[in-house]
Amino acid sequence: MKALVIAEHADAARELCAGARTMADEVVAISFGDTVEPGVSDRIARISVPEGAVLDDAADTVVGVFDAEKPGVVLAEPTRHVKTIVGKLAYHAGTAVITDAISFEGATATSLYFGGIAQRAQKPGDVAVYTVGSGVFDPAGAQGEGAVEDVAWVAPVRGTKLVSSQPIEKSGVDLTKADVVMAAGRGFTEESQLDVARDICEKIGGGLGCTRPLTEGLDWFPREAYIGVSGLMLSPKVYVGIGTSGQMQHMVGVNRAETVFAINKDKNAPIFKQCDYGLVGDIKDVLPALAAAL
Amino acid sequence: MKIAVAFKVVHDDQDINVKADRALDYSRAGRVVSTYDLNAIEAAAQLAAASEGSTVTALTVGDAGIDNSKLKKNVLARGVDDLRMVADDACAGLDAHATALVLGDMVEELGGFDVIVCGDGSADDFAQQVDVQLAARLGVPVVTSATNVQAKGGVLEVERTLEDVVETVEVECPCVVSVTPDMVQPRIPGMKDVLAAGKKPMNVTTAATAHAATLETVSCLAPEQAARKQEIMDAAEDGAIERFAQAIKAAL
Repeated sequence: MKALVIAEHADAARELCAGARTMADEVVAISFGDTVEPGVSDRIARISVPEGAVLDDAADTVVGVFDAEKPGVVLAEPTRHVKTIVGKLAYHAGTAVITDAISFEGATATSLYFGGIAQRAQKPGDVAVYTVGSGVFDPAGAQGEGAVEDVAWVAPVRGTKLVSSQPIEKSGVDLTKADVVMAAGRGFTEESQLDVARDICEKIGGGLGCTRPLTEGLDWFPREAYIGVSGLMLSPKVYVGIGTSGQMQHMVGVNRAETVFAINKDKNAPIFKQCDYGLVGDIKDVLPALAAAL
Repeated sequence: MKIAVAFKVVHDDQDINVKADRALDYSRAGRVVSTYDLNAIEAAAQLAAASEGSTVTALTVGDAGIDNSKLKKNVLARGVDDLRMVADDACAGLDAHATALVLGDMVEELGGFDVIVCGDGSADDFAQQVDVQLAARLGVPVVTSATNVQAKGGVLEVERTLEDVVETVEVECPCVVSVTPDMVQPRIPGMKDVLAAGKKPMNVTTAATAHAATLETVSCLAPEQAARKQEIMDAAEDGAIERFAQAIKAAL
């Protein structure tokens, strides 16, 4: 069987190619420009995206590669661009994508359901199409000659026009790489209370994220700091939830942490059933004392 | 502009319980519009308000249980002019492909459209695929992850906020646009809106064609909870904060 890998970042391509190697005899990777490194796949189908085109509009070209190669399995990186491409490919193949797979058992893939309330295992149709995030496959398994073949751009019948593309300035630490993650929840009643939380973060070398209301309702944090369903899914060494109640929608983003700490003034908060160490107290009294003790 | 908005009806996740065998128990969970689809409905209503003479039709497909009077009024109270629903147990748990096929048939019955607005992803699957597959089904362009949409004649200027970049794109109507929850906050319908909603057209039908899901669900279970120590201390007790601090240091 042949596998087709679609990714727009080199790291993702490497991991997906490694995963594809465990499922197929031959691995073909789509490269947008030179995004795929040599040595991770048997072959590289290189697509040059014309100036002024949106990457999503590579779908028709990718579908052409799919038709020519007839892969039994497609592994794609779950970025918004690639999700459009792979969705159009799945429509063409008469199937649906199994999205954001976190584990595989043969062709059956498990994804989060209701944001992690459950995990759902799904079996694909005749052609298996998955999106898979980072950390599922060990990139060490990626290998191959990586012979490059250029694929001619197939312009969509009705495309979109790219007017501009501005990089997003990321603020603060990359929480996905942090060993220590603290999250601020609704227990914070004033934005100024976050200062002492940041002090604590600095002392323990952590990054500060938040629950949904603090980025969507209150705007105290950028959206990329939101931890939980459809936000960051983390597995740090240490997680400290401050003024977080333990709502499932947030906890699915951190429940793989090695050690979970929680501070909340309500001794009945659900988070105390899901933590290793809990501290019952009002954050405005507790945080300064904790900062002093660390 | 002739605007359609697609939404999904899901179980209210606040009231989903987990049974002893880790299966999900929906018996207490009512039917609601999937959270982010409320933002999509609002975006459609605002787009319509910005362009005189526009109409908004809301579309959905699901099992027979989605035909719920309170839910229908709730949708129609949000600046929506009419509602079309395929409610049929043959359409329970459709995957994105099958959903797009049914919605595509429904859109064709509208006899033309300018924009179909979708949400960022559904509360249960969060696959972010129906928008794309629907556009493929209809042969129109799709722009996802929109954080701002402006209609300029027959063209939409869309700002889309992606993982690392903000793109501004232009797309010709007819098209599909899916919007992120950041774009607009859903309104809270007033009593007048809800009363007026009851008088608006609601068309509920069964499925004309069977579109079976291609994905097969093998199992759907709550994850096993990691065993946690659950050592809870009261901050008012002497030395509790110091012990808590000690535990953090030890875990680093």
